[in-house]
Amino acid sequence: MELFIQQLVSGISIGAIYALLAVGYALVYSVYNFTNWAFDAFMAFGAFMAFVAISSLAMPFWLAMILSIILTIILSVGSESLAYRPLRERKAPRLFMMISAMGVNLAVVNIINLIFGGTFRKFPVESVQPIFVGNVSIGRMDLIAGAISFGVLALLWLFLYRTRWGLGIRASAIDIQTASLMGINNNAVAIIIFIITGVLSSIAGVFYGIKYAVFPMMGIVTIKAMIASIVGGLGSLPAAIVGSMILGVLETLVSGYISSSYRDLFSFLFLIIILLFFPNGLMGKNVDEKL
Amino acid sequence: MEKAMLLGTKKFGLVLMALVLLMSLLTGCQQEKVLKIGYITEQTGVDAYVGPASVPALQDHVDKINAEGGIGGYKLELIVYDTRSEVTDAVAVIKRLFDQDKAVAVIGPSWSAAAIPIADIADAAKVPVVATTASNVNVTVSETGQLHPYMFRVCFIDPYQGYAQADFAYNKLGLRKAALLTDIASPYTVGLHQFFKDHFIELGGEIVAEEGYTQGDAEFRAQLAKIKDAGADLLVMDAYTYKDVGLAAQQAEALGLKIQIMSGDGVFVPELLEMAGPQLEGAIVTTGVSESAPEFAEFNTAFEAKHGIKANIYTYYGLDALMMIEYGIREAVKKGEPTPQAIRDAIETMTDVQLFTSKVTMDPETHNPLKKPLLINTIKNNEWVLLETFQPK
Repeated sequence: MELFIQQLVSGISIGAIYALLAVGYALVYSVYNFTNWAFDAFMAFGAFMAFVAISSLAMPFWLAMILSIILTIILSVGSESLAYRPLRERKAPRLFMMISAMGVNLAVVNIINLIFGGTFRKFPVESVQPIFVGNVSIGRMDLIAGAISFGVLALLWLFLYRTRWGLGIRASAIDIQTASLMGINNNAVAIIIFIITGVLSSIAGVFYGIKYAVFPMMGIVTIKAMIASIVGGLGSLPAAIVGSMILGVLETLVSGYISSSYRDLFSFLFLIIILLFFPNGLMGKNVDEKL
Repeated sequence: MEKAMLLGTKKFGLVLMALVLLMSLLTGCQQEKVLKIGYITEQTGVDAYVGPASVPALQDHVDKINAEGGIGGYKLELIVYDTRSEVTDAVAVIKRLFDQDKAVAVIGPSWSAAAIPIADIADAAKVPVVATTASNVNVTVSETGQLHPYMFRVCFIDPYQGYAQADFAYNKLGLRKAALLTDIASPYTVGLHQFFKDHFIELGGEIVAEEGYTQGDAEFRAQLAKIKDAGADLLVMDAYTYKDVGLAAQQAEALGLKIQIMSGDGVFVPELLEMAGPQLEGAIVTTGVSESAPEFAEFNTAFEAKHGIKANIYTYYGLDALMMIEYGIREAVKKGEPTPQAIRDAIETMTDVQLFTSKVTMDPETHNPLKKPLLINTIKNNEWVLLETFQPK
């Protein structure tokens, strides 16, 4: 039983990281119907900026976090206006946007690699001892990361459902052409979405860096977030969170009780089974109810 | 007028012809005899710490040979390609070295998963390849027991390292319940753990948990929780990437799992200590060479001062491989033309040749260096400490 609870706790903490990333995917997908493959590069960029701010500029953590968020927003919005907007304006097929995103990803990851090198760095924060409940260990960092993840996601929900800008984004998610005909500024929506993407990826990057390590290829994990958002239902925010939790817990339970060697096999098998029975994901909705 | 023009064209044509002739003569004079040596390494991707620490050292050595006049009138040229830490890229760049660059010999790769497919390609191209740290048995000898005539290596092989680890854990540390955490996509880890397991069980030990993960994973708590539950007193994790061991050590501490950690030469880099030194206090790491060995101190200081990067074992193994090829070229030049075939023949029969790290004798039957010593190190106060040296029988 203790082992089961330990695996459950680990699973939820992994799910919380997946959730931040999955929501980023879901947001871009819901409006533009393309997968933002550059997301993992933004994540690594955010982590590296915070890392440099703390280790080289001796900034306190909160200031480094803010700096990292601002710089990642600049990168995210910059890549939107350089790599995606020209394609959108020329009405390029969505596949081209995805390829463009891959290009941004490769470029950013390799520039990071060139400047900082490919070593794995420990994030320069004091490591804190986990809390033990019986023999079950709960990481304090996991609790903080989890709380911040859900706090940010809650703010995002408020923004989308309680502000005029949020309404504009939701309208664009249903039909971006009609929304722009109704007077919603298409480019402004794009900028807001990529600002949110920047914030989410920077936070995810920093917490992932603290939890594991900071390295240029750290964004590999986003493939799991991608699965999570598909399992939940691509394009829906609550679904992305539910999908992340399910995937995180499933992975640790498979590792713990079936075989850790076949964990990824189960993750992908699970994805296939879900898609066979729920082609829109577990909580996938019709087009007019997205987000 | 027309005639004059015609004459002009004729004259121009003559001058042009003369120029072309002269130029071809001149280039004939200037044309140096160049031997191209390829180096395929990891400059980007998850293992991007391998290439940057070795390329400058290899280039320095090639420059030194050229400054001394080359080998028998031949200048050497080092051609470096990035494998992006991917097997597919490693295969693509080695084909380029063989087909387009016409390299006479190639150094690399550093990992078995890439070296195994490359062995067949080297045999087909008839160009010798010297792998650096690819230690799986099948790198030089196929699964059916056939020797790959053009594949060599400078490191020791996995059976030997796995055997030594099991021996040390059972006899010296007195541990009886081992857990294996294996990168299932890495022939290096899978092979090493198989040999560890065989010998550990043979000695009377027990394998209480066999867990797996794949390259790129950062989360090991599920596996570690299971290992804790199984009551293991030894965690064997011969990862190829030090990140895996660093993260596992951090997460083991977070789970309250106190266990002896043991790992192999794949993770023996200074960066591991920066990442998880305190969590790895007392861990055992076996390796063929050690950066903290006094004989490398001078080299390390000079290297770091010149290139601003720390030398690691990949630097040493890279130099070993380059010097092995250098030896092959020197011998081939003595006998005639330094063709890939002649270089291969010379390497195959090399006996007691001083390379960068040690003297090497090549086993013509297996293309593995004979009698490479194995060092058993531990981590004490965030530094590597040599415990003992294992001499092969």
